[in-house]
Amino acid sequence: IPPLTYKVVAECSVSKARAGLMTLRHSEVNTPVFMPVGTQGTLKGILPDQLIELNCQILLGNTYHLGLRPGIDTLKKAGGLHKFMGWPRAILTDSGGFQMVSLLQLAEIDEHGVNFRSPFDNSQCMLTPEHSIQIQNAIGADIMMQLDDVVKTTTTGPRVEEAMERTIRWVDRCIEAHARDDDQSLFPIVQGGLDVPLRQRCVSALMERQVRGFAVGGLSGGESKHDFWRMVDVCTGYLPRDKPRYLMGVGFAADLVVCVALGIDMFDCVFPTRTARFGCALVDSGQLNLKQPKYKLDMEPIDQKCHCSTCKRYTRSYLHHIATNESVSCSLLSIHNIAYQLRLMGSMRQAIQRDEFPQFVKDFMAKHFKTDPIPAWIREALAAVNIQLPADPEKEDQDLEKKTKAEKRQETENVAEEQVATS
Amino acid sequence: MKFAIESIKKNSGRLGKLRIKDSGPELRTPLLLQTTKGGSIPWLSSDVFESHVSRKPQVLQFTLSTMDQMAEALAQWNIGGGRGLSDYVGLPGHLNILLLRDPCETTPSGGNDRDIQPLFTRRGKESLTPERYMEMVASFKPDIYQGLCDADTNLESAKKRVQKSVDRTEKFMHYVYENRANVESTLLAPIVGGYNTFARTQSIKHAREQPAGSYGGYILEGFHTNGLSATTLDSSKLLPIVEHCVKQLEEDKPRIMPGAFAPLTILELIRQGVDVFDTSYAYCASMNFKALTFSFVQDTKEHVPFLDITDDVIKEDFSPPMNNCSCLTCQKHTRAYLHHLYKTNELLGPILLMVHNLHHYITFFETIRESVAKDKLPELTELVKNQNTKSQVDYSIAVNTKVITKATMGKGFAAAAV
Ligand SMILES: [Zn+2]
Ligand SMILES: [Zn+2]
Repeated sequence: IPPLTYKVVAECSVSKARAGLMTLRHSEVNTPVFMPVGTQGTLKGILPDQLIELNCQILLGNTYHLGLRPGIDTLKKAGGLHKFMGWPRAILTDSGGFQMVSLLQLAEIDEHGVNFRSPFDNSQCMLTPEHSIQIQNAIGADIMMQLDDVVKTTTTGPRVEEAMERTIRWVDRCIEAHARDDDQSLFPIVQGGLDVPLRQRCVSALMERQVRGFAVGGLSGGESKHDFWRMVDVCTGYLPRDKPRYLMGVGFAADLVVCVALGIDMFDCVFPTRTARFGCALVDSGQLNLKQPKYKLDMEPIDQKCHCSTCKRYTRSYLHHIATNESVSCSLLSIHNIAYQLRLMGSMRQAIQRDEFPQFVKDFMAKHFKTDPIPAWIREALAAVNIQLPADPEKEDQDLEKKTKAEKRQETENVAEEQVATS
Repeated sequence: MKFAIESIKKNSGRLGKLRIKDSGPELRTPLLLQTTKGGSIPWLSSDVFESHVSRKPQVLQFTLSTMDQMAEALAQWNIGGGRGLSDYVGLPGHLNILLLRDPCETTPSGGNDRDIQPLFTRRGKESLTPERYMEMVASFKPDIYQGLCDADTNLESAKKRVQKSVDRTEKFMHYVYENRANVESTLLAPIVGGYNTFARTQSIKHAREQPAGSYGGYILEGFHTNGLSATTLDSSKLLPIVEHCVKQLEEDKPRIMPGAFAPLTILELIRQGVDVFDTSYAYCASMNFKALTFSFVQDTKEHVPFLDITDDVIKEDFSPPMNNCSCLTCQKHTRAYLHHLYKTNELLGPILLMVHNLHHYITFFETIRESVAKDKLPELTELVKNQNTKSQVDYSIAVNTKVITKATMGKGFAAAAV
């Protein structure tokens, strides 16, 4: 049996959304799926048992961090990351390249790999495609990523094409170096910046390789939302129907809904756990910043409808008092936020299976934006897959629109920051 | 609150039954209170505590110094009977006791104005008048609360400071006794006076002068200033003064002594007749990356009191923190993993340590009660003292230079590396 099988269980008759079942060595994974990020072999303050309770089927680990701590020797001796961290279900690892480029200012890329200075002794080091695969083989994740040539999404000109071409050359080196193809599946990464023909060329080149799924990279790094959705749409338009598609680093609720409509199956983002550390809880209408004084005497749970262990036991009032003060608040809010993300994905799967996904999208957007106008890019993206959102209830007030735009810009900037600060 | 002595043994101390609420469970002493911070068991959500530490009803030890900012919310929560203080912090079904000071952290000294008791909170020093204190108790509605007292003394305190703590406590308590009818909770009479027998006697005398039924038990304070200071107390100084106090107290009332006493000190205090302790020692160990590994089961092997999680020798040690431990941490995780979590400053590290340390400490207390019942406390004391080695083991906890603080909570390796 191959280490990854994927089958489409249901398809939306209107949009490109699909529900699937991915079977990995350590777990079955129902898609579309959100993968919480457990950077250093642990998910911020949550026990593996609690994640299983939340029905989390797959976690993400970061190769760069794990390669430094605990290090490859220790992971090998432990028998891989699953055993080391006591997590019986599936894991996906990134290549380490992206974090290196974003965390280490001095990292430089050439044809051999990513050059960087060791954060420990400042010696010159090199992460090659082969090296990244060796590390990921030692970690033993069910799904691993190729090392790709990462450029800022805002980069233009020949560098973007060079990065795309190099990414294709590197995937062959990764496939060549991959020593555990019977246990682990290597995903190539679609690059090509914000350029439609480059993205197309990249997809068709990668499709010639023997791989079991694809990642879409180089997005969610500060580009406009308009460019963002179009690139996702282009990639899913060309990727094969029978293999899973993973959009890297996307995790805001509205983005998840739009990208599922565009045909993406897998997501990851540090946002739900990161925002928990600052006392923020995710709800359909966005997020509650529980540190705000208005929650001091609010004796309701974060969300009446949520069945997570936090909402069962704790009030907004109590969480207001302990958020950012007692470290247990970080665990409590992370649990709720992950429960929120997983529930959102579950609702989308159900809606797709009942072929009610377009209605789900409309209901979600109405709840999410309430009286705020729905951003134009969301309308356009959904219209591109035949989901027409109803007109905003009231005539858009100019100031309001301006404010929303500013907020959205802020949100994009936050995502960029997330990417850099993944830890 | 009802307390009944089951047995008193010269060498093993006393065994008792405590019923805090008529509708509540009957608890057995020597009893272990569950120390909390800001109302929560440190690092543990209520479901982790109940799934992996204890399913039985516990007595939660709340402290005003970590919860004072919740007074307004609790007043509203408790309107018309309400659901109670334990419910508010997500731990329904557990009993509770409200103390002034956090036994986990060193209480700063000073600030003892004539009519005001300082309360050291996260936001700095607050000033408690007896009036304000009783208002807060009325808002919190705990099952049990302590009398307002000045406990700012330790072995080094000058005679004058000790005398002042007794006088000020007496003054505060005049008000508390007069107004205790305004709250339904059971009062604990504070006994202070440092290491001075005369001062202690005076403090006890004031409590015993009160009409019968004024209070339900005693809280003995002023022997240390909380935090790690309690782990290093000199028994030869502590035990005589405790003995001096205990023999003057009414026998049919429980005696509570908060603080992170070393396990050996706990056993010695139990022999003196102290009934109730707390889990702040388990907290202090976890905070400083130590897994408790002392043995209280009779065997012939040598044991060490702690496993130091920061020690590089366990980097690739894939054995459980403690062999033969049935807690989640020891069943599912390894020393190497705990070391990794320490190195990366991950929040799961103290969570897993706390699960083990609380589990270990609660089991320790179960063993204590069995030993007291069988009049075998001296044997247990001997084992805990030497751990089957040739000399007495050291239970004091040193400050780890790298502790999980709020400042480091959110930063992983990345921040340190760049
Ligand atoms: Zn919830
Ligand atoms: Zn254990």
